[in-house]
Amino acid sequence: MSVFDGLKFRKVSSPIHNLDPRVKFIYVCAIFVAAILFGEILPLTALLLMQIPFVVLAGVQREWLRSLRGAAFLAAIIFFTNFLFSFVTAGYVVLASNVEWAASMTLRFVVLVESFSVFFLTTSPDHLGLALELTRVPYEFAFAFTTAVRFVPVLAEEAQTIMDAQKARGLELEKGNFMKRIRNYIPVLIPLIVSAIRRSLELAEAMESRAWGATKKRTNLYTLRLRRGDFALLALAIGVLAASICVRLYVYVPTLSQLLQGWL
Amino acid sequence: MAVIETRNLTYTYPNAAKPSISGVSIKIEKGEFVLITGPSGCGKTTLCRCFNGLIPHFYQGELKGEITVAGMDATKHPTYEMAKHVGLVFQNPENQLFALSVEKDVAFGLENLGLSREEMRKRVDWALNLTGIYDLRERSPHEVSGGQQQRVAIAAVLAMQPEIVVLDEPTSFLDPLSAEKIFEVIYEFNKKLGITVVLVEHRLDLTAKYADHIIVMDEGKVCFDGEPRGVLSREEPRLIGIGIPKATLLYQMLRRDGLSLSNTTPLSSQELSKLILEAFEAA
Repeated sequence: MSVFDGLKFRKVSSPIHNLDPRVKFIYVCAIFVAAILFGEILPLTALLLMQIPFVVLAGVQREWLRSLRGAAFLAAIIFFTNFLFSFVTAGYVVLASNVEWAASMTLRFVVLVESFSVFFLTTSPDHLGLALELTRVPYEFAFAFTTAVRFVPVLAEEAQTIMDAQKARGLELEKGNFMKRIRNYIPVLIPLIVSAIRRSLELAEAMESRAWGATKKRTNLYTLRLRRGDFALLALAIGVLAASICVRLYVYVPTLSQLLQGWL
Repeated sequence: MAVIETRNLTYTYPNAAKPSISGVSIKIEKGEFVLITGPSGCGKTTLCRCFNGLIPHFYQGELKGEITVAGMDATKHPTYEMAKHVGLVFQNPENQLFALSVEKDVAFGLENLGLSREEMRKRVDWALNLTGIYDLRERSPHEVSGGQQQRVAIAAVLAMQPEIVVLDEPTSFLDPLSAEKIFEVIYEFNKKLGITVVLVEHRLDLTAKYADHIIVMDEGKVCFDGEPRGVLSREEPRLIGIGIPKATLLYQMLRRDGLSLSNTTPLSSQELSKLILEAFEAA
């Protein structure tokens, strides 16, 4: 069930978790744009290092490192394809600048992945649903989102029960070649889907019984209010965005190999 | 005036060959604690769905006869209007909670009604305290036990301040001890707040003592309807598979064996032991 572990959100409180999810999202978008603006290794490294205080403040180092490891495979592919491409276009010679280019493209990918992972690691689904609602996303979508999150552990448990039941009747899940193994899962999948549909009917019934759709203007028990920390983060996001646009337009950003050549 | 009244209610689910309930005529008074019982598949759940208009609005099908709940014709008002007057609690606690925290779940119905935040906060805290789950308010429904989940469902219904609460086998997923606690919660709000309770239940051992009125159903029809001591001391309900309280059965056996016990049929072991003590003292 390790696949679902990432979706099981535990309620934690930290200065980062308590920030307004909307502002956090704006910040992530600012980092995203900045990462797209630069292809050089130095600013990208700076962007990656900027994430670290957030991760430490939120106390999600372990999860964050795990997501880094998860991204490693894709990062390796990006590095090699970029390297190969520049290797071929440079006329089959390995140049320091080519290696650096491949490395910075990889770094850009890592920055993008990691900034989003910080966002999702520190934002509770509840908060996210609320943010969706308050940004005038139709309530049905926000509700579908939070309900889906709510039922992930329930369905995971049910899948486990069905797997156990079918194994008890002699189903061998780990037998045969790849295609056979996929086919082995059909007797698990069908009961799971059927019971999910049945569950959804019961849910709909319970929703109806609690006045679903009574008014067009639904209210909410919670609200989000911008606090000092939120304004600080908003200022930081605008600062990052403005600074990176200015640097891009008016400042020449040297590559690492050029800098090293200058020194030597 | 009766708070729920049906006359000749007959309902057939879409694509079903025969009706699930037929010719049901019952009358439930305001503030009563009503127990509906009967073997599985006898139409108890179907009848509950009629009370808040899920039948016929949610489940199409064919409904004949009349049904008035809280002064409204349930066939003419949509479920969300009925929901303000009739709260429905279902069998499986897991499938009636949708939010990511207990508190938010209790507020769900109130949010749908569009109440103000202050009013909601007041009602949510009140309902949580009444059901004894105030301390769990920030937990996720997945983290709490089945009995607690069912209390959340009850709190969610109570927060909407209905006149009638209908509970469809609320304890069938629970162990006897949690079930007993749920019944105590139900009895308390029935007595304290005067909310009419309609409880569908098999466990008469635990619930018969609370009831003012019992309705026994079989094969879609009402077989017995009346005061619990009278209904449960008859032979027929036992024969169709109703779980008559053990105390009542023992009382009948003792009487048959010639023990002179007084005429009030006991519904719980406490009542029976009192009768036996009285008999010994008299002897």
